Amino acid sequence: MNWPGFSFLFGAWYFLALIPLVVLYFLKLKRPRLEIPSLALWQSVVNDQRVNSPFQKFRRNLLLLLQLILLCLVILALMQPFISVGPETAEYLPVLIDCSASMSSLVEGSDKTRLDLAKERIEDLRGNGKIALFAFATAGRRLTDFTDDKQILSRALQKVQTTHRASKLDEVLRMVDAVGRTLPVHRVVVITDGNLKEQVDFELPFKLEVQRVDEGGDNLGITEMNARRSGPDSWDVFVRVAGSTSEPVNGELTLTQDGKVVGREPVAASADDSERIVFSVDSIESSLIQATLKSSGFDSLELDNTVWLNLPKTRPLRVRASSDLYSWQHALNVLPELDLDSGEQPSAPEYDLIVSDSEDLAGAAAPVIVYNGVLPEELQDLITVSDVDVDDTPVQIVDWVSTALLLRHVRLRDVQIGQKARFAEGADAQDLEERGFEILVHGAEGPLMLQRRRGLETEYYFLFHTDRSTLPYRVAFPILVTNVIESAMQQASLSEVVAASTGVLPALSVTPDREYVIQGPNGETDKVRSTVNGLLTGVQADVVGKYDITDAGELVASVGTGLLSPLETSLRSVVELQFAELNVTTNESQIIDTDRHLWWTLALLAFIFLLVEWWYFQRMKTGIVA
Amino acid sequence: MTTETSSQLTSLFSNSTLNRIERMRLNPLRRLTNRSRGEHLAGKGGSSTDFADYRDYATGDDMRYVDWNIFARLRRPYIKQFLHEEELHVVIMVDASSSMLFDDKLLKARQLAAAFGIMGLLNVERVSVYGFHQREGKPWMLPPGTGRTRIRALLQFLEKLEGGGDVPVEQAIETMLRFHRGRGIAILLSDFLTFANLTRSMNLLFSSGLEVWGLQILGDSEISPNLEGDLRFVDSETGETLDITNAGELLSLYHEHRVWQEETLHQQCRSRNGRFTSINSSMTLENVLFDVLCRQGWVLR
Repeated sequence: MNWPGFSFLFGAWYFLALIPLVVLYFLKLKRPRLEIPSLALWQSVVNDQRVNSPFQKFRRNLLLLLQLILLCLVILALMQPFISVGPETAEYLPVLIDCSASMSSLVEGSDKTRLDLAKERIEDLRGNGKIALFAFATAGRRLTDFTDDKQILSRALQKVQTTHRASKLDEVLRMVDAVGRTLPVHRVVVITDGNLKEQVDFELPFKLEVQRVDEGGDNLGITEMNARRSGPDSWDVFVRVAGSTSEPVNGELTLTQDGKVVGREPVAASADDSERIVFSVDSIESSLIQATLKSSGFDSLELDNTVWLNLPKTRPLRVRASSDLYSWQHALNVLPELDLDSGEQPSAPEYDLIVSDSEDLAGAAAPVIVYNGVLPEELQDLITVSDVDVDDTPVQIVDWVSTALLLRHVRLRDVQIGQKARFAEGADAQDLEERGFEILVHGAEGPLMLQRRRGLETEYYFLFHTDRSTLPYRVAFPILVTNVIESAMQQASLSEVVAASTGVLPALSVTPDREYVIQGPNGETDKVRSTVNGLLTGVQADVVGKYDITDAGELVASVGTGLLSPLETSLRSVVELQFAELNVTTNESQIIDTDRHLWWTLALLAFIFLLVEWWYFQRMKTGIVA
Repeated sequence: MTTETSSQLTSLFSNSTLNRIERMRLNPLRRLTNRSRGEHLAGKGGSSTDFADYRDYATGDDMRYVDWNIFARLRRPYIKQFLHEEELHVVIMVDASSSMLFDDKLLKARQLAAAFGIMGLLNVERVSVYGFHQREGKPWMLPPGTGRTRIRALLQFLEKLEGGGDVPVEQAIETMLRFHRGRGIAILLSDFLTFANLTRSMNLLFSSGLEVWGLQILGDSEISPNLEGDLRFVDSETGETLDITNAGELLSLYHEHRVWQEETLHQQCRSRNGRFTSINSSMTLENVLFDVLCRQGWVLR
């Protein structure tokens, strides 16, 4: 048998009110005095055993008893009693609340969001065990420790707000797993709208119960926005609009450039059929593009209706090629929109691309650097490079990463190479990875091309000199050079820019080592200092909207973030989550075994007792009836 | 109206009622009489005109009672015996305590006492009246007397009898017995609302040769009280209080106890060859005297 528990146990103090009630009852009970000939008969009546029987005593003080019962019922109702049912009486129960953007979608016909529904469901979650609340979107956050204090849980629950991020279950599960190592956690409850990725990279050590709240309403939102340079002064802006319904929903997409409307297109999208709209925008200077979507019908999720995109100032790509790299210079010279520096010494400190046959760049820097015939100093002990002798076996290209940006559409199979890179004894690819290098081209005896990323910079290492190979004479070479230019242009945001999603603002090039103030969409401010390299990175942007970066009150740049999550916009609920070893079914009908609340029953009883008391009082005319 | 009132013999009842009362007489169940000569035939050896028996003459017998006709025929003297007429002592006790002031109970008691007294006096009984009020001190008392001439004194005594006091009926009986001598009838006019058991008092009366006639006079507020709610009753005699919660709920019990008390008193009186009845003070005197008491055999017309 489950004894009833109380959500507000401190309410028991109100039982002290019974004392003044009884005292006041007897003090206030001013009986009318009535002189009668003799008390003899009445005394015998009072002495009668029937009058003094418990029932008769009860009847004599019925009014007081009714008031006592009424007060007790009211106090008991105030203490919010409940009867625990179901297995949530487990000792430790983590409850994970989905706070992703889709949880802020409105339920059609109601002003409640999915999160509100989830909260209502969790508010009923009471038990004899201890509960810990976790909130998760992209990352997990622990709201409370394991506690059976309903007040703490309620307060934590009230503070839960939706984030403008996509949901991801992995991290919070790992967090719970870490908690479960010190406490006996056998079951975890997830309250979500089911808008999760089907694949979860996690091995479940506990039983997971995923409970879905009701479906959200219809939604139409922007899931993708990018721009590609279409000419020297023009950009093609691509906006993808997706919906959540099976039938297409109409809307209107408006594009503004620095506040000025530059395009307006009707759109129609459904869950299975998104629509991609292209706007042509002229832009010489940097400008801020804002795409705003307005649905013609009910739009459940407001967050995905606005996206910002920064178009950079157009300029030619600054390329530095070593003076001895004729093949590269020749290939680069034929490409348009390119400012090539092939002098002995670099003429500028910064380039967009450097192609060098030496590790020493003579003070120049670029986000994309291609080293030709250079073995990085860090790998001297792992790899040796030597010329191929006549007696040597020819260098054989075994494989290459065709998906790498640089090697896209590049065929290296028949390339003859005059230099051979070999792994040192005992060294292998894993050693290279440990030092931050990725092999792009594999030779039979060692790597031939490496890639290393350093922050925003990407370095490519040809371990053989391209001039000591047949590569420059192959079709693959101009393709390779074009890929390099494309990579550099992307890195410099000269060819293609992508709208930033919530999370962290894209890195901005600013004055080195200077403090900037970032003002968010809701007016919140944050101070971030730029790196010595002049990058402003790691700026948190959890909210959809425009962020202004100011330096001493002067606006430096404006960057916007959008939700840009097809998953969140679709509001789709997954039926089954696929974990590493097993699948977990999400179930809408299977709600959490909630406690049976008794307060309303007690309140109803109190009301009935109030009516009975009123009736009894009205019926009983105090005093002597004439 | 004033003339009519002034012509009344008493303020207790009208002359017409008095005339009817004068034609009535008390009807005791047993002949508890005094040896002194009176109106009640007590047996042979009396001097009344009613013949009872003959007996042989004995020396010293009154020669006047010798039946000379018998002597002439039988030549032996026989004494004629007549029924003896003895005197009945009527003791009327009027409870004049405070409780009798309610609902004109005392008035009814005084009227009835006067009626009983007149009946007694006109039937050559010795009539004495006691009015009880205070626990302490002597009761108001009309000394025993007989004859029509005592009627005025009787009526004056009762007219002046005032209520008030806290004497219980059992104490009143004991007090009366300290002053009273003689056999007869003790008529108790009271509401009998007492905490005590009256068995002892009844025994005292019976052992004193008094036939107990208990006449309980209750008012409407006692016979059919209309009470509701929580009340604090105050005893009119003692001033004691009693808190009653939801009196309306207890009325049925109250009636049970009242009826039980009546039955108890009735049984106590009947077991001592007495009478008992209970009347409502709102009843008219005529109704009580000429209907209720006649039907129950208290009085004869």
